[in-house]
Amino acid sequence: MSLHLPVLIVVLLLAASYTVPLLDRYRRGLTLPVTILSLITAFISSLYLLYLIGVQGPFVYHLGGWPPPWGIELYIDYLAVYMLIVISSIGLLVIIYGAKDLLHEINEEVLSWYYTLYLLLMASMIGIALTNDLFNLFVFVEISAIASCGIISAKADRRCIEASIKYLILSALGSGCILLAVAMIYMITGNLNFDYVAAALPEALKLYPYNIVIALGLFVVGFGVKSALFPLHVWLPDAHSSAPSPSSAVLSGLVIKIYAVALVKLLFRVFPPQIFEAIPILDVILFLSVFAVMAGSIFAMVQDDLKRMLAYSSIAQIGYIFMGIGLFGGRALTGGLLHIFNHAMMKSMLFLAAGLIIYATGIRNLKDLKGIGVRMPWTMGAFAVGAFSMVGIPGTSGFISKWFLALGALDLNRPFYVAIILLSSLLNGIYYFPIIIDAFFGTKVDPVSEFRDVPALMLIPVLILAAGVIFFGFYPKPLLDLVNKAISF
Amino acid sequence: MDDLVIRSVSRLVVPFIQLYGLYVIFYGHLSPGGGFAGGAIVASSMILYGLSFNLEAGSRKLGHDVSSFMESGGAIWYLIIGLLGILFGSNFLANRYAGVSLGTPGQLFSGGIIFFLSLGIGVKVASTMITLFYSLSGGEDSSGSNN
Repeated sequence: MSLHLPVLIVVLLLAASYTVPLLDRYRRGLTLPVTILSLITAFISSLYLLYLIGVQGPFVYHLGGWPPPWGIELYIDYLAVYMLIVISSIGLLVIIYGAKDLLHEINEEVLSWYYTLYLLLMASMIGIALTNDLFNLFVFVEISAIASCGIISAKADRRCIEASIKYLILSALGSGCILLAVAMIYMITGNLNFDYVAAALPEALKLYPYNIVIALGLFVVGFGVKSALFPLHVWLPDAHSSAPSPSSAVLSGLVIKIYAVALVKLLFRVFPPQIFEAIPILDVILFLSVFAVMAGSIFAMVQDDLKRMLAYSSIAQIGYIFMGIGLFGGRALTGGLLHIFNHAMMKSMLFLAAGLIIYATGIRNLKDLKGIGVRMPWTMGAFAVGAFSMVGIPGTSGFISKWFLALGALDLNRPFYVAIILLSSLLNGIYYFPIIIDAFFGTKVDPVSEFRDVPALMLIPVLILAAGVIFFGFYPKPLLDLVNKAISF
Repeated sequence: MDDLVIRSVSRLVVPFIQLYGLYVIFYGHLSPGGGFAGGAIVASSMILYGLSFNLEAGSRKLGHDVSSFMESGGAIWYLIIGLLGILFGSNFLANRYAGVSLGTPGQLFSGGIIFFLSLGIGVKVASTMITLFYSLSGGEDSSGSNN
């Protein structure tokens, strides 16, 4: 039974997402419990899968009992389980927060449809992490793109709809690139399974070098658009800042990273290593990531909207993950993949804290946040932890991932990138620290008239995430072990 | 729209479109087409009905309750059929490996679970397209997803 667990997680989340609209008709009170219970089950199952592959090693699952190259194959290795744990844990905390927050952010009638889309998004991301089949990957990428658009536009105000249409168009372009690349690969290898394609590509590289190079380029562009790699990031600030806070948290925290992981899988498991000698694709990714890290921070500095600033900060942080990919070979990829979890924790926490501030006071403008720390000590305390982690203060988890990125750059004898990491950390400090200083030590010009108390149910997920940031800052060993196993391709 | 010609023609044509759609769904494992194509054809008959009579009459034929039940039901049906594979000792969506009789190739009732899967997909696609049509045309007042 436990060997069916990988597919059962996806099936459970899909089934829950289709059950929610029915429950909405007949038992409205049950929609939220079903959503949360299914995510709890997914989280526990992910932990059990971690235990399972620790005992018996990575294993495969053949859908319908058909072995590849005929059937779809799921490959449950450490990378997949790592992503499963990241997705299900953060997804669970965000929806617990969302249970109360969504009530005032979106129309009550579409609330259960929001849960449907949310569960679909979770199922598709878990599918992307698990699948070992190119076309199956594309299908899950499409599901997650549509579901992401849905949870952005759920708020139904003008800015959200504009942002989600922008996102829909750009991510459809990305999907088109991915589909074309899959077609290219299928054309020359005749296979869709990752392992079979990987076996066929070294030979095919001699016969059809251009097809493979084009496919590689299309994959990088397609997944680059979806994960907002620097020059392709234009949709992100609008989408992530105007969406409801739980959507922002899950989009910035999880969705943009799963595409980076898909790219990691393709680059290092499917494409032959010779291709990196033929074309400098890793250097291109590295080059773009340097721009992402710098430009994201510089754009974030000039924002005066809290959530917009956090969105631009995401562009910089996704740059670190791609820097880890680009510096493949040393310890940098450890740092990059570790940053997936760390950034998922801290960015979703920051977005949720921003949501709490907006919930309690309605303030979005950074200038009005003076003295807010006195009114909301817990929220701003968590915000401060997240901001320290973004900057990379030792003792927070953000430090660990930047440390490994820097070590990886030194392993490859490229100290330039250490300087970039330091410089961008300083830039992070420039826009995060004034907020915290203002919040705790600033004197308020005029007191906020409206102030709503924050429900404990919304505060607890934020505090759990803050505790996680500190815990994994002091004790990163379990995560590091997992990530090091995940990148042993 | 109140045109006698369009009404009479669509009244004649709708049953045949639906029959053809069902044929495409049920012969999904034997001939080109399948759940998606057949479901779209069935849905097009309902859309034709809604357009040639009026939208209220169309949505009375298939209310939002029913169509959202069919939407979720079709997908859940698919998942349940898939889970039967695990129940019978093989993998998710297993067909022959789960001991399902495949019948004689070429017969209508052959191919094991594929027939039932196409049915689920057909129901899901048809109801989704009809819901989409009514959401876009604004002929549906409930659900709140349209405004």
